[in-house]
This record gives sequence, C-alpha cells and structure tokens, in this order.
Amino acid sequence: MTNRRNGATGALCAACLLFSAGALRPVPASGQVLLTQDEALRLAFPGFVEVERRTAFLGEVERARVADLAGSKASGALVTYYVGRTPDGPVGVAYFDVHRVRTLPEVLMVVVTPTGRIDRIEILRFAEPREYMAPAGWLELFEDHGLVGDLANKNTVAWITGATLTSRAVTDAVRRVLAVHEILDPLGDGTQ
Amino acid sequence: MSQIHRRIRRQARILRMLATLLLAAAAVPSTARAQDIDDRVRQLEEQVAELRGLLEARENADLAEIRRQIEAITTEIEMLRLGTDLVRAERSRFGFGPAASKVYSSPHGVSLGGYGETLYENFSAEREDGSPSSARDQLDVLRAIVYAGYKFDDRFLFNSEIEFEHASTGSAGSASIEFAYLDYLFSDRAGIRAGLVLLPLGFLNELHEPTTWLGTERPVVESRIIPSTWRESGIGVFAEFDGLEIRGFLVNGLDAVGGGSSEAGGFSSAGIRGGRQKGSKAVAEDFGFAARADYSGVPGLSFGLSGYIGESGQGAENPLRPGEELGVRTLIAEGHAAYKANGWDLRALAASADISDVAALNTVRGLVGSESVGERLTGWYVHAGFDVLRSVDTRVELIPYVRYESVNTQADVPLGFSADPANDLEIWTIGAAVRPIPRIVLKADYQLQSNQARTGVNQFDLSLGYIF
Repeated sequence: MTNRRNGATGALCAACLLFSAGALRPVPASGQVLLTQDEALRLAFPGFVEVERRTAFLGEVERARVADLAGSKASGALVTYYVGRTPDGPVGVAYFDVHRVRTLPEVLMVVVTPTGRIDRIEILRFAEPREYMAPAGWLELFEDHGLVGDLANKNTVAWITGATLTSRAVTDAVRRVLAVHEILDPLGDGTQ
Repeated sequence: MSQIHRRIRRQARILRMLATLLLAAAAVPSTARAQDIDDRVRQLEEQVAELRGLLEARENADLAEIRRQIEAITTEIEMLRLGTDLVRAERSRFGFGPAASKVYSSPHGVSLGGYGETLYENFSAEREDGSPSSARDQLDVLRAIVYAGYKFDDRFLFNSEIEFEHASTGSAGSASIEFAYLDYLFSDRAGIRAGLVLLPLGFLNELHEPTTWLGTERPVVESRIIPSTWRESGIGVFAEFDGLEIRGFLVNGLDAVGGGSSEAGGFSSAGIRGGRQKGSKAVAEDFGFAARADYSGVPGLSFGLSGYIGESGQGAENPLRPGEELGVRTLIAEGHAAYKANGWDLRALAASADISDVAALNTVRGLVGSESVGERLTGWYVHAGFDVLRSVDTRVELIPYVRYESVNTQADVPLGFSADPANDLEIWTIGAAVRPIPRIVLKADYQLQSNQARTGVNQFDLSLGYIF
C-alpha cells in the first residue's frame, strides 16, 4: 500500500517536473495574440527597470523626414513609446509598430538601445497564416543594427525564402522605428 | 473656458480704466486727496494682481486638465491601433480578477471567460503528535468556472460566474452561481451594482483566480474568518479615483443559526463560514453592510481596509431572553497591504471577527464545551515570492514563495465554554509557482501545519490552474 502510494506520488512529481522543464523552454504561443503588451515590455526591460510611457506628435515636416530616412511611407502623426530606465540611466526605448503584411496586420515591438541600435524585436500579433511568420532566428539578425550604415541597404538582412512580404514588412517596420527614433531623439542627449 | 477668460479680461480692462481716472484725479493738488488716491491705487493694483493670479491658476488648471485628456485620448488611440485584447488582456477592474473583468473592456455584447483549478493533496501519514493521521490523499478538479457577461450599452452591463465544484453536481460536488449582477456605470470609474455580489473583503474573496495568488490552497484566514468565497444578494456602489478604490454593499446578513431556507449550516467553532447563505433562498430578517477602501497610487504598492457589520440571528428567538430576537451582531475588520513589482509578490493581511450573543447562539445550536462558536476570531498571514527568472530572457515566471499564517477561531469564548486547542493553528507553506505564460500556473508546496492540540497534519500539494 505504502509502496503504491509512493509510486503514485513519484509519478505525479515526475509529471510536474516534466511540465516545468517543458515550460522553461521558449514557449511557442498559439492564437492571434502571441504576446500582450505587458508581456512584451517585461521582455524588453527585464530586471529592476522602470518603464515610462511617453507620447510624441510629429508634424508634417518631421513625418516627411521619417519617410525619407525610412525609405517607405510616412508613419502616423502620433507616436507612443516606452522608455526603460535604471538608476544608472536609460536602457532602451520600446516602440510598437502596426502594419499590414499582405492583407492582415502584424504588431511588432522594436526595442532600440540608447545608442540607436536594435536591441530586440518581438511579434505581438500575426494574423496571416503562421507559416509566413518571421522566425525568431531571422529577427535576431537585426540586433545591433542601426539606421545609418548597414540597415540603409535593405539587403543587409537577407529576406526569408518564401516569405518575401513578411521580410519586407518587418524590414520596413524596423527602418521606420529607427527613423522615428532618430527624429524624436527620445532620450534627449543626441547620442544616436 | 473662453467665457471665463473674456470675463476676467473685461474686469481687468475696467480696473485699468478706473485706475487711469483715479490717477487723472490725483493730478488735483491736495495732500489728503493724494493720500486717498495712493491708497486706492494700491488697492486696485492688489486687485489686478489677484485677478492675474486667478487667471494664471485657472490656466494652469486648464493645462493640467488638457494634459490629462490628451493622455486619455492617446491611450485610447494606442489601444485601438494595437487591439484591446493585446493591451488590456491583463487588466483587473473593480476588484475582480483579469478574466472576471472581461466584460468591462468588451465594446458591447457577450463576453466569455473562465478559470479552473485541479488540486492534488498528499497528506502525511502521521499527525504532529505521532499518531496516525488517517487522512487519504486526494486528487480533485476543485473548480471549473465560466464567466459570462453581456454589455447592453456603455452604461448597463451584466456579469456572472457559474461554478462547478469537484467536477460533479452529485453529493461530492455542486454547481452554483458565485455572482450574477447588473451594473449601471455613471462613468468609466464609478457605478452602482445590484444582484448576487461578492463581498469586498480581503484579497481573495473578489480576486481568487489561481494565477493571481501564490499557494495551492487559499489561506485559512481567508476561509474561516473572511469566509471566501462569500457572496450574498444586495446592492451597492463602486468607484475608482486617482489610485483610490472604494466599494460598499448592503446585503442579506449571515445566518449564524442555520437550518433555514438557505440551508446555511450556521456558525461553528471553526469559524463563520457556515453562515453564508449564497443567495439561495436567503433568510433576510437581518441585513449587513460590507465596505472597503484601497489605495494604489504608488506603482506596485497597494494597501487598504475592509469590514462587515450586521446581525446574524435572522429572526431566531433568543433562548436566554424569551420573547426577544437573537441578535448575533457580527463585526469583521480587516487590513491588508501588497507589493507586486520588480519580480516581487509580497502580501500581508490581518483580520478579526467579533460576535455577540454567542452563549445564546450556542444554546440554540446545541453546542457545548469546546464546540462553542468563538466570540472573537483572529488571524493574519504574510507571504513573499520572487520571480527568479525576472532577469532572464524568457516569458516564463518561476516564483519560489513562503507563507506564514496564524489563526485562532476561538480567541475568546463565553463563560462556561472552553476553546478547542485544535482551532489555534499555525501554518508554514513553502513552495514554488511556475507560470509558462501569465494565464497558466503550476504550483507545488509543502504545508507544515501545527496547532495547540498537536493534531496538525502536514501535506504536499500540487495544483494546476488556468484563466482565459
């Protein structure tokens, strides 16, 4: 009786450990919302980081400059962004970009370092068929790239085979965010 | 705003004209008159300065209001661009958990949500004193809940929680309505509520979705002194302003005697939980009032107070004073504080209940000796958890936690009765919670239970919970 009980307990503990082990791996999200905004910001600014929500308004001239720098159509007049700070200073700025891939929307979070380079990119929503979604490994290719120089050439990051529209949409979004970041200079020190 | 500006400018113009006239009159050579004019000019200057101050204050207030409106509009635009499900998925409203709050962020029509918990309990073979515990291990689908809401328009909404307990409606389980109410919203931040409502006491009575608290089992304090999940029929108001939240409800009272149409079991030595009428043919001879206030103006930090007062005799006759009704005034007071930020999850809560006419209540209920209902019940707990993956590049949260609680449901008993030492207990809970995504949680903990009678039985628990 006791042995049987211990066996059952052991099996449950093993199941628990397996569940935990599975949970600790990166989780492929399902459904249309892959990450909520809160979850994305937690990924953008882990640890003891304060996150401040800010809003900026771009005039016609600024929007034209953004379009020129990004090499694509102008962004909206209203820009909301999130600045992460520690007592040692700002650690980055997170932007959320909404765009269409083919006919359906994608929402990306693009985090820019204080020096104006890409820190990370996360997909929050992808409404097109899942096989067209950019893999995490491809998004990582953008990391540490800036607007001036390497990303100025659209072919710096090779496009995903069979998902040209996705590649174009993500690249345009990243360039647009970097251009907005350049124009806004949200950390106010002109370091980028 | 422009009318006020015009009025103030008109007054300033008149004052300037008056000042000019008076200065012209001052040109008449007369020392006394010159003194009068000086005084008058000084007065006018003071009035002009005062008006200018009023105008500036008004402009500053207007500016602050405009800033607040811009913030609200930009938040709304961001939500529309990104999608409400993406921005507001985790938002709690008016004390409810995120899933129970869905109807508030729904644009209109039907909203569905829910949560569930499955619990495995593995009991120690021995009690604290070494005697056999005879407790049998149990695996139970504790709860499966469906929230159904309907937003009629921007003002009226319906919200409900339908609960299946223990996976059955047979003798071991039940299906019940935990809440079902109508709200009329005066604004996005205040409203009036009527129906079967959750009483706003403690942490867990309103907000008990398994992903929102640490521990496989709810603290005993919030079961025996605050009898979660405590719902009764009634009416009340709720409001949020700048970090302050308040709620207050008039409801049918507890039934301390039991055996009435609601099938409440009545108060016992273990607490007041048996007095809940749950909206089911509740005896409504006595009513009670429950209220709470919380402040959460500092990010991550919140603290507040809640309480309940009402008679619980429900029309029963007082056997010690024939011809008089049994009062059983029940007063519950509770204070709590929480900090949830930067990976920390800290909570502290203290509660007490004071009950009158207990000797008479014991007589009516046939309770003798240590079976007495407590005249005073006390309890408190603290817990601390920290997400050790906070600084790791993953969505997963792993939160080791520890909780200590102390409860005595017979801190005072009437003369002629005694307290059962088994009701004076302490529990240490040590465990960990894993949230692979915020809406799913797996918890495991070990509870070290001890009481003054040394009959405590330790247990290892596992629970799996979800919300949607």
